[in-house]
Amino acid sequence: MEYIGEHLGIGKVGNVFVILSFVFALLASISYFFAAKENEDAASWKKIARISFRLHGLSVLGIVSTLFIMLMNHYFEYEYVWHHSNREMPMRYILSCFWEGQEGSFLLWTFWHVVLGLILQHSAKNFEAPVMSVIALVQVFLASMLLGITIGEYHLGSNPFTVLLREHPEYSKIPLFSDAHYLANPAFDGRGLNPLLQNYWMTIHPPTLFLGFALTVVPFAYAIAGLWKKQFNEWLKPSLPWTYAGVTVLGIGILMGGAWAYEALSFGGFWAWDPVENASLVPWLILVGAAHLMLINRNKGQSLFTAFFLAILSFLLILYSTYLTRSGILGETSVHSFPTAGMAGQLLVYMFCFVILGFALLIIRWRDFPKQTQEEGIWSREFWMFVGAIVLLVSAFQISFYTSIPVWNKLFGMNKAPLKEVVKFYNNWQLPFAFVVTMLIAVGQFFKYKNTSIKEFLKKISVSFFVALALTFLVVYITKFDDRYFSILLFSSIFATIANLDYMIRVLGGKVRKAGASIAHIGFALVLLGALISTSKKDVISQNTSGKDVTQLGKSFSNNDNILLTQGDTLKMGKYLVTYIGKRQEGINIYFDVDYFTKDESGKLVKEFSLSPLVQTNPRMGNVAEPDTRHFLTYDVYTHVTFADLETLLEKKKETGDEYATAKNHTIKKGDTLFSSNAIIIFDSLSVNVDKVKYQLKEGDIAVEAHFQVLDIQKKYKANPIYVIRNNSIQPIESRVDELGLKFMFWEINPEDGKIQISLQEKKSNVRDFIVMQAMIFPYINILWIGCIVMAIGTILAILERLRKTS
Amino acid sequence: MKKIHILGIIIIAVAIGAIFTTLNNTSTYASFAEAASDPGSEFHVVGKLNKDKEAIYDPKIDANLFTFYMIDNKGMECKVVLHKNKPQDFERSEQIVLIGQMEGQEFQASDILMKCPSKYNEGQPTAVK
Repeated sequence: MEYIGEHLGIGKVGNVFVILSFVFALLASISYFFAAKENEDAASWKKIARISFRLHGLSVLGIVSTLFIMLMNHYFEYEYVWHHSNREMPMRYILSCFWEGQEGSFLLWTFWHVVLGLILQHSAKNFEAPVMSVIALVQVFLASMLLGITIGEYHLGSNPFTVLLREHPEYSKIPLFSDAHYLANPAFDGRGLNPLLQNYWMTIHPPTLFLGFALTVVPFAYAIAGLWKKQFNEWLKPSLPWTYAGVTVLGIGILMGGAWAYEALSFGGFWAWDPVENASLVPWLILVGAAHLMLINRNKGQSLFTAFFLAILSFLLILYSTYLTRSGILGETSVHSFPTAGMAGQLLVYMFCFVILGFALLIIRWRDFPKQTQEEGIWSREFWMFVGAIVLLVSAFQISFYTSIPVWNKLFGMNKAPLKEVVKFYNNWQLPFAFVVTMLIAVGQFFKYKNTSIKEFLKKISVSFFVALALTFLVVYITKFDDRYFSILLFSSIFATIANLDYMIRVLGGKVRKAGASIAHIGFALVLLGALISTSKKDVISQNTSGKDVTQLGKSFSNNDNILLTQGDTLKMGKYLVTYIGKRQEGINIYFDVDYFTKDESGKLVKEFSLSPLVQTNPRMGNVAEPDTRHFLTYDVYTHVTFADLETLLEKKKETGDEYATAKNHTIKKGDTLFSSNAIIIFDSLSVNVDKVKYQLKEGDIAVEAHFQVLDIQKKYKANPIYVIRNNSIQPIESRVDELGLKFMFWEINPEDGKIQISLQEKKSNVRDFIVMQAMIFPYINILWIGCIVMAIGTILAILERLRKTS
Repeated sequence: MKKIHILGIIIIAVAIGAIFTTLNNTSTYASFAEAASDPGSEFHVVGKLNKDKEAIYDPKIDANLFTFYMIDNKGMECKVVLHKNKPQDFERSEQIVLIGQMEGQEFQASDILMKCPSKYNEGQPTAVK
């Protein structure tokens, strides 16, 4: 069939760019390889290499632009465009569409490598050929992920330009495609971007994180170049600023992911030790270790092997984490599902090539390393920095080993399930590492290279030590910090903050320019401090309303942390009184408005703020609860809905709202209390002095009026149903409280015991809506975010200082 | 012996400790029958919701109590008492993982993980809205 209106030309253009980017990367890698040989042909090889890499860069730019044009023009004939975008979506999320898919995110990664490569072509000087040869080789592999060609039985890569929606194996038989004009069908639309990702964090988090990933290739390439060209020390100086930049950007990227999780996901926090989070944390820890060892070696020539090892490892771990999160292996054993595009095999090959390249070269060259003449002194800065880097390595190993359980299961045929209390497990394991690292951060800079007079050291550090100790007690007192195990980290991170502040002021004389390391360390310590306090003093203020003690069932059943809020009721929750106002729908989001009150001195309710946690009726993932958080300087109130009746949305209510539900009969005596769903009703008294004119009573009627007080939260109403006997039959006169939708009828008096029988009817709209909600307070979480910013500033200062030294 | 060697030994000890505790602390996937043979121990049981039987959740009585029937992968059915709120989209789940223990004839679950059907996840090209 001839399909009308398809834009097949642009896909062909895109595909040409894909092939060109692969070919030129290959050419650049090979010619840079020969250029690195430094023989008489080297210069001409270099020329070819440079041009090839630039053409590779242009091709990547071509791919990116083509894909953008396709997304912006809604060319839904392409599977990628249909899969990740639609017409309704705001343009600002077009970026998110771009990298939502597997192919787009590889493209983003490739793009950053191109940017870094183009800078290195200018800045790497002597190292240009070997370093660029490695980077171009990485690009060969990344470009192959987009090729989308089939060799025999094997598919190589997935190409967004060649996969047409109507040819996609899953959709090709759909009746839509029996219409040659299917694209002109006004109702045909893309599947759209996952609404969860339509969040501003998701427009800035992926590019930042991928730039962080990309930056690890630079120390890796330099390390390989150093080994290859036997320039065992020369590679450090030019690659150090890059390593710092990697630490900064990857660190920020990870924390941005945490911020997104805290804002948009309802797992109740910013860090859940999720495999995907761990997969980027582990390379960061190794990169931080590498940066420190490279610095030692640069300054003192020690720990060379370990510096090489960690610089290579951090990039390999990026590849490993790509494998973990993209191959679908985590999805097989856990219920967390990850998208797969049949790339598992390719990713494994990719990873093993670089593992072999990196480690084989390291082992071969090991013998040629300059001999270390003397051992580090125990009171030297380099020794403790080395210890710190090793602690980071072990910490990363623990995280990585546990995250890899699905891999072990597959490799060794085991059947291990993930732990239930994963967060606790990780926290307990990581605490000692974090303690040692923060203690080292505190004392590290007070050690001198080579040797330190221990007397002087103790004199210098003692001030910070005692100040930190006093501050720790103060914090323990203020926050009622009661976990002894974790209080050692409380001390050590405060100690690290104070000691670095002290070092900055007293030793560096407040010169901010030189204080990059101190400031970065303060930031890191603050991140830990904020995470520690906000997590261990996290206070779940929503409590079980049932009164049943579920903890009797066992320790693991103490999760009575939900509160049931009925519309209009005011319940106590922590230090607040909360009222569920109602729900409203905006697009696919259903918001649940909850008001928060406190009592002032006179006992009056004062509204403090409102929160509107929502449930997103996500067409892609089902209903997803998203939290709403109120930020204060010293704490956050974080809430999300755990259960709500979404079926009875507003329209249903309108239909039945004015009808009265079935009457309920009550036999009561004076002083008794009744409850309707929205009010408290007290039976006050009976009287026979009924207003005859008002109620149009006739002579001979017997009338008794009952007096009720009807109380809701704000007001007091009266209801006076009248019992009338006329001509020997009971003809009661109803009494209504229209504001509350209540109707009273007075049916009977028992003269013996004074009891009366009434019936009470409620409007159907009174059957009130309710939600089940979880609310928690995160104290001092702002310390964590401040720490992030401080750490970023510190590392940037360190990069600038290093660049100043280099030039 | 050099300091570096002492450090190396400590690292190896910690690493072995990490491996050992990881392997010891994890529970395994099991069926209801296996969970019943070892009451009081925690298991992960994988299965499907029995849609023919009633799933009861009345948050007005207890917002943290939800009971339903699940059929495990070996075909055995068991009543499940979940001590949590009813998860959103529970009826749509295609696979359930329960974490908890057997007590008598009931499986007392403290946590639940769900997998939603891929068709629902993916959606299909359509011109009908």
